[in-house]
Amino acid sequence: MKKLILSACFALAGLVGLTTTAHAEGFTLKGEPKIAMLYISPTNDGGWTQAFEEARQRLEKELDMKIQYVESVPESASAIRPAVERFIKRGTNIIIGTAFGYSDTFKSLSEDYPDVAFLNGSGTTNGPNLLSYYGRTYESQYLCGMAAGAASETGKLGFVAANPFGQVNWTINAYAMGAREMNPDATVTVVYTGAWNDPTKERSATKALIDQGADVIGQHVDTPTPQLVAQENGVYGTGHHRDFREFAPKATVCSSVWVWDRFLKNELEKIIAGNWVPEPHGALLSMEQGGTDIACCGPNIDKEEEAKIMAARDKLLKGELKVYAGPLKDQNGNVHAEAGEVVSDGDLWQMDWFVDGVITQQ
Amino acid sequence: MDLISSWLGNTPEFAVPFALAALGLIITEKSGVLALGAEGLMLVGAVCGIGAYLTFEQTAVALVMAMVAAGVVSLLFALMVLVMRINQVISGLVLVFFCQGLTTLTGTLMGWTNQPVPGLEAIALWPLSELPYVGRFFIQNVVVYLVPVIFLISVWALNRTTSGLRMRAVGENPQAADAAGIPVLGYRLAAIVIGSALIGLAGAFIAVLSTKLWISNMTAGRGWIAVALVIFARWSPWKALAGAILFGCIEALIPQLAASGIKLPQYFVFMAPYAITLGVMIWVAISKRDSSSQPGALGTPFIREERT
Repeated sequence: MKKLILSACFALAGLVGLTTTAHAEGFTLKGEPKIAMLYISPTNDGGWTQAFEEARQRLEKELDMKIQYVESVPESASAIRPAVERFIKRGTNIIIGTAFGYSDTFKSLSEDYPDVAFLNGSGTTNGPNLLSYYGRTYESQYLCGMAAGAASETGKLGFVAANPFGQVNWTINAYAMGAREMNPDATVTVVYTGAWNDPTKERSATKALIDQGADVIGQHVDTPTPQLVAQENGVYGTGHHRDFREFAPKATVCSSVWVWDRFLKNELEKIIAGNWVPEPHGALLSMEQGGTDIACCGPNIDKEEEAKIMAARDKLLKGELKVYAGPLKDQNGNVHAEAGEVVSDGDLWQMDWFVDGVITQQ
Repeated sequence: MDLISSWLGNTPEFAVPFALAALGLIITEKSGVLALGAEGLMLVGAVCGIGAYLTFEQTAVALVMAMVAAGVVSLLFALMVLVMRINQVISGLVLVFFCQGLTTLTGTLMGWTNQPVPGLEAIALWPLSELPYVGRFFIQNVVVYLVPVIFLISVWALNRTTSGLRMRAVGENPQAADAAGIPVLGYRLAAIVIGSALIGLAGAFIAVLSTKLWISNMTAGRGWIAVALVIFARWSPWKALAGAILFGCIEALIPQLAASGIKLPQYFVFMAPYAITLGVMIWVAISKRDSSSQPGALGTPFIREERT
């Protein structure tokens, strides 16, 4: 009984909390803006963090202010909290995180420091002064799929992916849909490695795909290994995170890249302007809002194909093209969006189905 | 056909690091020192191999320097367990954490992360390489062919040379060995350094010859699998080699099955190597064969003249 009353009290308190935030003014900084970023890995990791570091350098120029950073902050409260609190003590009032594993600590920090604005890339928690953001990677990967479909001679594409969950599966489906835009018979065979950062497994997965006849290798893992293996074997590939032509200029035909500065510039300006109201379920960024883009096009894509890819990119940048627009059916014939509908964000995060042309063990 | 030949062709990439690391651990543990630091020493070998290659552009130099580096870092472990007689389990774990930090720091500061290296050319062992199905198993780089040779030399040294027998005596009964005039700590130090050099070579194989780049923590738990391999091989080098090949086969099979579109539950497949480790360990425990093969003084620090 006691428990019941307690939980009722909490529920009530929650309701009150909700209504007050709904009616309250947005978040406004108390002093001059001072920004700091927390990176999960070293700035020269060649992927995720390096993309943030490049965005930070562009932001410093565009906003004409210094942005501090600290690198290699692991995903544990005992590491995140002191780093953030040191920044806050020195007068920093905008903290930008870059990791899924920062979510809970950022939530509690945002409650402890209501005068500080928190942003967290690939996070899951939100609040009156906390906004998580992530990119709709399926848009840029759709374009990479188009490039892959164009570069492939056999129509057999391979894809090296980390773990089978929504965020990865949505890139795979989009990749296949993009490829079929260029070659209606294209197939995408997927190998999951079960790890984001295991070059040994990525290498053997890529080799296995090439042995099975794949001649373009897409990827949603963190290291450039699949591109290196593609180049060694004289086939093509598409990169993720950054422009992987840096590693495999003869192989990489297109890369999905992060352009965080496009989003962060807008969002930081909104915070600095005052009365900032973060989206209650976080910001899932389309290419129109910044977040992702492509670096295109590498070898084996002719002018005509390149024009087609760039036209699709333009439409995505203007918000005119929706990758997950209906009518959309999976391999088993289940309808996920009727004509005129778009698959909802909730369904995207839970995606466990595949479109025609995708070959997986799932 | 394609699947089998491609599968066997990729097996050594997984099997060789397990085999070399397990052999290194066996050599160290035969002297009575419990070594759990393989994961860390492999990282040292890996980062140093890549660093040496980027500096000197000689693969052989890179491999040798990786072995030297792992040997040097293991001196720290030797200091802890031989001189200060700190608990060997703790020392081994500390060594792993220390090496993880050290290698990440070194790789980052020196800018060695994600720098591709060319590795070694594969050599075809004609006429074996022309065989159907298994042919690709015999198209490997030279280090793969050296593995059986390294095993032969190690087994011969352990069983047939005076030094090897003395080292094992030190591991079985250090008091008796000491009474016979064998310098116990000297032999243990040598066993730690030689074993660690082999573990360093295993790490360098992963970085320089297999994946051909360095990223932080790239060994991804393979050092721990080597530790398990040693236990279920009951400290026998040949059984460890067989175990390494078995593991290599399983790890190499996983992407092959996915690439050929064979439907199997994904997470079950990821679990397979570990489930098989558990299974084999249980089997070894139940069958109790060679249960006396564990070095008698494994994990016990040596204090001269102390009654035990």
